[in-house]
Amino acid sequence: MKSPYEILEVAEQATDSEIKQAYLQKVKLNPPDRDHEKFQQIHSAYESIKNVTSRENHALFNYPEADFDALLEQAFSTAQPSLISADHFDKLLRASIDDKTFLIGNPKMTTA
Amino acid sequence: MNEIIIGIDLGTTNSEVAIVENGQVVVIADNNRKILPSFVGIDDQGDILVGESARNQYLVYPERTVKSIKRLMGQDIQVNLAGHAYAPQEISAIILKRLKAIAEQHVDQPVTKAVITVPAYFSDAQRQATREAGEIAGLEVVRMINEPTAAALAYGGSQVEQKRMLVYDLGGGTFDVSVVNIEAGVVEVLSSHGDNHLGGDDFDQQIIEHILDHLQETQGIDLRQHSKALARITRAAENAKLVLSDQPYAKIEEEYLLEHEGAAIHLSLELSRIDYEDMIEDYINATIDAVHIAMKGAKLTPADIDEILLVGGSTRTPCIRERLYNEFGFEPHSEVDPDLCVAMGAAIQAAMISGQEVNAVLVDVTPYTYGTSAIAYLNDEYYPFTYVPIIHKNTALPNRKTEAFVTNHDGQEVVNVTIYQGEDPDALNNIKIGEFLVEGLQDVEAGNVITLTLALDLNGMLHVSAQEKATGLEKSITIKNAISRFEHGALDTAKQRINKLFGQNETIRAVVKNEAPEIVEARKLIAKAEALFDISSDEDKEDMIDLIEDINSCIEAGLDGRLQESVAKLADIIYYLES
Repeated sequence: MKSPYEILEVAEQATDSEIKQAYLQKVKLNPPDRDHEKFQQIHSAYESIKNVTSRENHALFNYPEADFDALLEQAFSTAQPSLISADHFDKLLRASIDDKTFLIGNPKMTTA
Repeated sequence: MNEIIIGIDLGTTNSEVAIVENGQVVVIADNNRKILPSFVGIDDQGDILVGESARNQYLVYPERTVKSIKRLMGQDIQVNLAGHAYAPQEISAIILKRLKAIAEQHVDQPVTKAVITVPAYFSDAQRQATREAGEIAGLEVVRMINEPTAAALAYGGSQVEQKRMLVYDLGGGTFDVSVVNIEAGVVEVLSSHGDNHLGGDDFDQQIIEHILDHLQETQGIDLRQHSKALARITRAAENAKLVLSDQPYAKIEEEYLLEHEGAAIHLSLELSRIDYEDMIEDYINATIDAVHIAMKGAKLTPADIDEILLVGGSTRTPCIRERLYNEFGFEPHSEVDPDLCVAMGAAIQAAMISGQEVNAVLVDVTPYTYGTSAIAYLNDEYYPFTYVPIIHKNTALPNRKTEAFVTNHDGQEVVNVTIYQGEDPDALNNIKIGEFLVEGLQDVEAGNVITLTLALDLNGMLHVSAQEKATGLEKSITIKNAISRFEHGALDTAKQRINKLFGQNETIRAVVKNEAPEIVEARKLIAKAEALFDISSDEDKEDMIDLIEDINSCIEAGLDGRLQESVAKLADIIYYLES
């Protein structure tokens, strides 16, 4: 299974605009009308890495070849659910909320 | 050679057909007219009329003429045309058949495939009805594309720089707004919103009501039941609307609307643009609200928009430009012809599908959220019809999503899958678009996993399948027109019925075809004159009858010089009567 970076042929450090350009180029070569599957693959690759939020989400939640049953089994058999590292947790938090909202942590804005 | 696929804009008021020829988009003209009014009628001989001639006949024989059929597409109703009942699909098919013939004459070979545009906000049922209309007309609808998107494609193909555009499409019967990003040869729709029943027809209706109220007050007569007078008032209202696009006042005058208690009823009324704009204010407000929703859907603010593209004849209403200027701070674009750009976009897409090289490719979205209902918590209560959205609005097409559900009680053998379109957390407040049962599930405890897959194709049509995970037992449906689905046989019957209507006409045309162009023109003029009989004075009518007799005898005797003379005289009278 190819990663979205591989599908769009961009580096993992690519900027938003580089990713966007790569996406548009791929779409131009593979219009939805010609090959549905290919387009959908390109589009979902783009959706999963188009900005910092989606990239963090992708990094955190994307298990290669996620198997529903295997995951369920794992969840039930593991007595102690594996802990997310503090670093990951912080990233997750940042990813899930808007940057502006995150400023609430700023002392100036927490006067109340 | 690539096979020919034509692009069709099947509008509420007007329709057009276009094609890409040698890399150029051409809107095909019929008798020098690129616009075919979306009117269908039956004439005295029982022959079918489509376009201008049907539009003219509407004044005299409203009961034999159908207009704005697009408003009824997807509904399970029939319209009456000269004593016969037809489904909206059949009437639309008649218009499509005419457009097909216009294209065939232009390319000089049979045409069997088309890209047809539909309003972005057209529902599944309306899209299905459009496809059926194509089939009845003998056209395979290879793709349906959204009207604002088609317009953006026509305009965007030639753009080099990146542009974010708002497409405001107000037609005769429908309103759509789309936010589009044009970049690197890709026309990418970011969001769409709209209203299926809002358009220029509603503006006309406001003026019509105003005129009827005026006649009620001044003459004490209610004309609502007089179909002929009403048809003339409708035309007068449309004309007044057009005048008000350029002028601050419009005079609405119709003589001899009818006789009432021995006295002739005339209509004479002045309408100011300000009063007119008051009448339609609510409608314009609704369009601006939709603009806000589309902007929110695209996560953009007015400052992010580089251009506004106006589509549809109703955008000529001056206050629309004004309102958009107030919202965005700049004037909408007017380079692209608002009447033709949709058909042009359809032709470009058709060329793309047939394998020709085109400047721009299209990525469109669905304006609707689709989902199912399940037992879940809603407002802290266990509720059996909690809406579970699966494909969210403004998702790129095509799209396919799968969700897992579990059975609710032990030994549950059947699940009922209901599909809804809408946003409300309570599924019952959304539009139910289809439902089916998955039967014969395993006799196991509650928690049997059922996966539900929703796939939205490029035409914006939904395909649904559900599967019992453990056994692979599957049930699938294509959400077709759940309310007025034509069975396959019925579609064939409709096709024959419509063909027959045209058949009568085609034999006549075959005779006419061998005649000199002057004679063909003369015959057309005669038909036009005859359509005007009922609204002309006795004196004019007599003159016309004399001239028609003269023209007919000239044709028989081959007297070209005198024919021209009589034709010119008849044309003068017609011109006078029509103006």
